[in-house]
Amino acid sequence: LFREDLFYRLEVIPIHLPALRERRSDVPLLVRHFLERHNRKRNDLAVRITEDAMVHLWEYDWPGNVRELENLLERLVILSEDGAIDVDSLPPNIRSFISEKKIPRPVMSDDGLDLTNAVEEFENRLIDEALRRTKGNKQAAARLLGLKRTTLVAKLRRRRGASAANDMDAA
Amino acid sequence: MTDAAADDLTGRVLVVDDDEDSRHLLRHLLERRGYTVSIADGGRAALERVADGDIDVILLDVMMPVMDGFDVCRELKKSPETARIPIILLTARDDMETRAAGMNLGVSDFLAKPVNTGELFRRVRIQLESRQHEHQLDLARQRAETIS
Repeated sequence: LFREDLFYRLEVIPIHLPALRERRSDVPLLVRHFLERHNRKRNDLAVRITEDAMVHLWEYDWPGNVRELENLLERLVILSEDGAIDVDSLPPNIRSFISEKKIPRPVMSDDGLDLTNAVEEFENRLIDEALRRTKGNKQAAARLLGLKRTTLVAKLRRRRGASAANDMDAA
Repeated sequence: MTDAAADDLTGRVLVVDDDEDSRHLLRHLLERRGYTVSIADGGRAALERVADGDIDVILLDVMMPVMDGFDVCRELKKSPETARIPIILLTARDDMETRAAGMNLGVSDFLAKPVNTGELFRRVRIQLESRQHEHQLDLARQRAETIS
């Protein structure tokens, strides 16, 4: 027997708790709140977070929601030796999130996919990201990619020829 | 859900960019995804369009003449009617300073140009879901007020 009356009594106000990634603008506030809370457990020094580390936390998608954020901050506060949470203190999956967002994950649609184009785009994104990280230094970028400098330069040259006509991303 | 298919969520996205090619590309991608798209070619035009209502998400370029993306954020966050509209920055200024400035202005997400289409769809969808949940919460609140 389904007690409809009871159901409606209990379900007065159904509340869906939004995922943290839907409330990303609240992340800095929550970070400060949790830092304060867990800092109370330490009596030697108050652990602070650098702005770059905060940006990484802000941009991350938090599949484990607020609990994941709080657990991480608790751990970081306990483990911190110098009182500063910097990008290097963050777990690798959070540290690499910003870069990974830029690399497209290929999707096979019902119509299939153009493998050559997909591979090329993937390669280009990785090259761009390597160049960005090394501030345009081709030698260092090639090392990041496990390529010879000459191979990277050849790839860039070929690309410049191909994209002159249809580069929509210049803005 | 694949990146190529239309989304089951609907919504109106305002694309703000001073570059015509970027505007066209984004409109094309988002419309193919099944969203309704409005366009503004600068900060002033964006604020005017938002004032007209029913914008669910704003895709906002940063580097624009006269009134840049950060100015637009500041204006929108000032007023309670527009402060809750999610803003996604979409910019070629792919650095930590720009991200931090957006974060400190209450921006909801960040995308670097050239845009990764899959991520664009993902990011827009997250904000549309957020709007939908906010709307449901408003309804629940109204119901709660009627009950009490």
